[in-house]
Amino acid sequence: MDPVLTRYVREPNGHTLDFFLQHQGYEGLKKALAMKPGDVIEMVKASGLRGRGGAGFPTGLKWQFVLKDTPLPKYIACNADESEPGTFKDHVLMERNPHLVFEGCLIGCWAIGAKVAYIYIRGEFYHVQKVLEAELAKAYDKGYVGKNILGTGFDCDIVIHRGAGAYEAGEETALIESFEGKRAQPRIKPPFPAVSGIYNCPTAVNNVETLCNVPGIVLNGVEWYTSLGPDKNFGPKLYCVSGHVKKPGVYEATMKTTLRELIFDYAGGVRDGHRLKAVIPGGSSVPMLLPDQLDIPASFDDVAKAGSMLGSAAIIVMDETTCMVWVAKNLMYFYRHESCGKCTPCREGGDWLYKILTRLENGEGSMRDIDLIASVAGNIAGKTLCPFGDAAAAPALTTVKNFRSEFEDHVREGRCTVPSDWRGWRVAAGAH
Amino acid sequence: MYDRQVMDTVTLTIDGRQVTVEKGRTVLQAAIESGIKIPYYCYHPGLGIDGSCRVCIVKIEKMPKLQTSCSTTVTEGMVVHTRTPEVVEARASVFEFLLINHPLDCPVCDKGGECPLQDFSYSFGPNESRMEFPRRVFDGEGVRADVDFGPTLMLNRNRCILCTRCVRFMREIDTDAQINITDRGYGSEIATFQEQGVHSLLSGNLMDVCPVGAITTKDYRFKARPWDNPEAVDTICTLCEKGCNTTAWIKAKPEWAKGPQLIRMTPRLNPDVNGYWMCDIGRFDYHWIEGDHRLQRPLVRSEAGTLEPTDWTNALSKVADKVTAAGGTGALRFFVSAQASLEELFLIGRLGGAFGLPESGVAVGWRQREKPQPKHAKFKIPPTDAPNVNGARVLGFPVKTGSDGTADISAFRAAVEQGRISALYVFDPGPDGYIGDVSWLVEAKRAGRLPLLIVHGVVMTELASVADIVLPGAAWVEKDAAYVNAQGRLQGASRAMAPPGDAQEDWQVFVNVGLALGAGLTYTSSAAVRADLAATLSANEAFAGLTSLAFSRPVTARHWLQASNPSERWKWDFMFQDLPPVKFAGTPRATSPPQTIALREVD
Ligand SMILES: Cc1cc2nc3c(=O)[nH]c(=O)nc-3n(C[C@H](O)[C@H](O)[C@H](O)COP(=O)(O)O)c2cc1C
Ligand code: SF4
Ligand code: SF4
Ligand code: FES
Repeated sequence: MDPVLTRYVREPNGHTLDFFLQHQGYEGLKKALAMKPGDVIEMVKASGLRGRGGAGFPTGLKWQFVLKDTPLPKYIACNADESEPGTFKDHVLMERNPHLVFEGCLIGCWAIGAKVAYIYIRGEFYHVQKVLEAELAKAYDKGYVGKNILGTGFDCDIVIHRGAGAYEAGEETALIESFEGKRAQPRIKPPFPAVSGIYNCPTAVNNVETLCNVPGIVLNGVEWYTSLGPDKNFGPKLYCVSGHVKKPGVYEATMKTTLRELIFDYAGGVRDGHRLKAVIPGGSSVPMLLPDQLDIPASFDDVAKAGSMLGSAAIIVMDETTCMVWVAKNLMYFYRHESCGKCTPCREGGDWLYKILTRLENGEGSMRDIDLIASVAGNIAGKTLCPFGDAAAAPALTTVKNFRSEFEDHVREGRCTVPSDWRGWRVAAGAH
Repeated sequence: MYDRQVMDTVTLTIDGRQVTVEKGRTVLQAAIESGIKIPYYCYHPGLGIDGSCRVCIVKIEKMPKLQTSCSTTVTEGMVVHTRTPEVVEARASVFEFLLINHPLDCPVCDKGGECPLQDFSYSFGPNESRMEFPRRVFDGEGVRADVDFGPTLMLNRNRCILCTRCVRFMREIDTDAQINITDRGYGSEIATFQEQGVHSLLSGNLMDVCPVGAITTKDYRFKARPWDNPEAVDTICTLCEKGCNTTAWIKAKPEWAKGPQLIRMTPRLNPDVNGYWMCDIGRFDYHWIEGDHRLQRPLVRSEAGTLEPTDWTNALSKVADKVTAAGGTGALRFFVSAQASLEELFLIGRLGGAFGLPESGVAVGWRQREKPQPKHAKFKIPPTDAPNVNGARVLGFPVKTGSDGTADISAFRAAVEQGRISALYVFDPGPDGYIGDVSWLVEAKRAGRLPLLIVHGVVMTELASVADIVLPGAAWVEKDAAYVNAQGRLQGASRAMAPPGDAQEDWQVFVNVGLALGAGLTYTSSAAVRADLAATLSANEAFAGLTSLAFSRPVTARHWLQASNPSERWKWDFMFQDLPPVKFAGTPRATSPPQTIALREVD
């Protein structure tokens, strides 16, 4: 498939307004503004576009749910908090194709009747924010954003808001809280953002990549879009392949592509002389897959069938030098650090798990600890307000499930038994 | 908090029991109302829903995951399970998480014995801990971790379970959001900006809402344990015209032990008056009752010009002599604080009638002061520092107010300052200052413009110190008395303890003074005064409850909880579910003033 979203990312000036306009830029917007908002929503519904932020919820449906009969203003919140470990696709889009993000935001606003789109950008994306701001200024200048867009009478602003750097701020209601200047902690749903979001007004929270899909749908039509990818998993998709592969990076493909193809064809395969050990297919929050589970299309539905999730399509590849106890501990460090602290199980359990895993990894654990990990992680999963709890439990649960013997080796040998040259710096320090 | 209109109902099944509750209630509320135990921490009936502690999880049929009952609204036909193995295990695991970092220093913690974390953990928590790592510590270990949390409070972050009730109280009720959580996740801690602590006239409520011993009041900490058998008396606060329903806690102690008996005041739920809350003035300003300045014996000014203690017989004969010398009872005038109860005002009226005084013979005063509070605070403390201005008004006393609500006693003041009053009887049963500014009166007396000044009060105020005769009366917790609050609501304050020394209940003092001055008052109890007052006021509907007002007596806390009035009982069922269930249908509901929630007589 020819790349759609990332086609020009290597062009030196690919991110500029001039370049964008020379390559059908804002044509989708023009077409959308000539349509009725309801028809745009119908079109997006027909395209089957599913949210790229992690849950894969149909975008057209989400827009349809946005409360209509209300005197309150409505908003699009573009979720650019991209913080899931292994995920770096929105980063590329915003840095190299910012006008596509704006175009998606504008069409979204037109569709749901909003006059403002807020781009909530991750705290650490300072450099990306600079690019976005510079290009946004040009778009304002040329009348693509702001008052009376393209002479159609449609007024729409885009505002870039940078967070303070919290993974949890990516959860849609926590994002809204953070945007309002509060602590990035999720709200109780219902009410969903579509009814009561930013400033308690109806809001659609959409991922950057999701919104970038919209201009193409409007411009090229539903038929074109559904011709890309398998049933119910249409359209171009960005995959972030990282880890022990020869060519890590962002790859655009349809969701027909298998995980194996993405790892071995697109990313060049595992490093020479090494064997594949495990793959996390959708960002650190989802269960691992083993090498024999990779011959499935990397689509929302097929990955779910295999017992994991496509999530943010961050494919983390690990070869045989990877210690799974270390992986669990490493990821737990992240979740312990990023828990917003609202729910008791996530706040208290995350730290406890981290401590047990550290003890195990240092070779100081006991066999009982292995069961304790599974039990504590199981007690976190499913008992929290937001899916973070499940995510935090996932690394511990899947590593113990798939690689229990490695945990037992740590206990028996009192050290790590996995050969790991790339972690040589730690060999002197302790178990690794 | 409380909806005033009657709404539709919804029927659901909880643990196999059909339960009918008002539409819009949550599963947790429905369970509590029907006596089904579900634990909870972040939920508080007076605050918004947070859904963070996760201990209230239940199984609801047709929902894949366990749900938090506090955040799930009931629907018709819903089927809820709170005791299936899945729920029991999941709930125990949340308790395990709550306890892994809790210091469990219950033996030295002020909340011990009345702590929802203790109570619910015993009922629902795991039997043992699997935690083998050191516990999280913030400011030190043990009670050393107690740090200053503003002028009234102490904070122990180690004990905090991060339920955010305190955060939400300040945000929602006080509306000055001084408390928040800093840092996140495992490092989350309760904090105020730059550790300034909480500065609010509602701060004491934070101790009540905190479900653990993390927030304690400087006033009460280390003074008593719930199992020290403190006795409790349902009463009302009389320090302002709001009339918050309160409970006075009395420490049971051996005869020989020193120190005060009254150890704390806590709010008592009354949806019509104060909700779940009370202010810090009412909560903390009780020390004067057992303070050094209390009047314990009658005082009479000697030849040498000093006030000397004496007995009642002598004091009352001096009253008779001096009044006669000053022109007889017809020349006597009264200056009364609106701290006076209905009974006391009624007796003053009877005395005035017997002496044939003109209407202007009695002036009523009180103190008016704005309380510094956020503009939109949900619990406002009124500026009038008197419980019975309305009572005085209804009884026909010349209650005059200036445009700002202050007592207008200008005519009376002029009469004193011009030397037109020869004998004045001041009744000031409140704490020092609550009668309003009397410096001018002190001055008039010092300047010799007032030949006879009798002060009947409770503390040695500046005014009492210049009086010719001082008669010791009772503080509001030392007598049964009725008041009419700002809403026009008739409420009774109960006698929790005896007046100190020779001091007497004020109705008794008035009867005795009346006898000494030839007015034949023959009452033998405050109830008899009330009965007569009720008969006199029988035409006035607002006073219909006067004879049925029941007054509490000190009872041991446990007994008190079972005997106390329904609304209070309801709150304690809410807060401390380990008590024997004394349930009743529905929830106490706000009514329209001036009906009162009657106190129930305790055996
Ligand atoms: C802990 C957590 C973190 C999340 N982080 C992100 C994120 O960084 N970016 C994102 O687009 N969605 C994130 N999500 C998903 C959002 O909640 C939401 O589903 C998404 O933004 C919706 O957009 P979409 O429908 O376009 O996918 C996160 C969810 C959770 C629970
Ligand atoms: S699950 Fe974790 S991250 Fe999500 S709301 Fe609860 S504490 Fe916060
Ligand atoms: S201090 Fe008390 S009320 Fe505040 S969050 Fe902690 S436990 Fe809850
Ligand atoms: S009481 Fe329901 S989550 Fe805390």
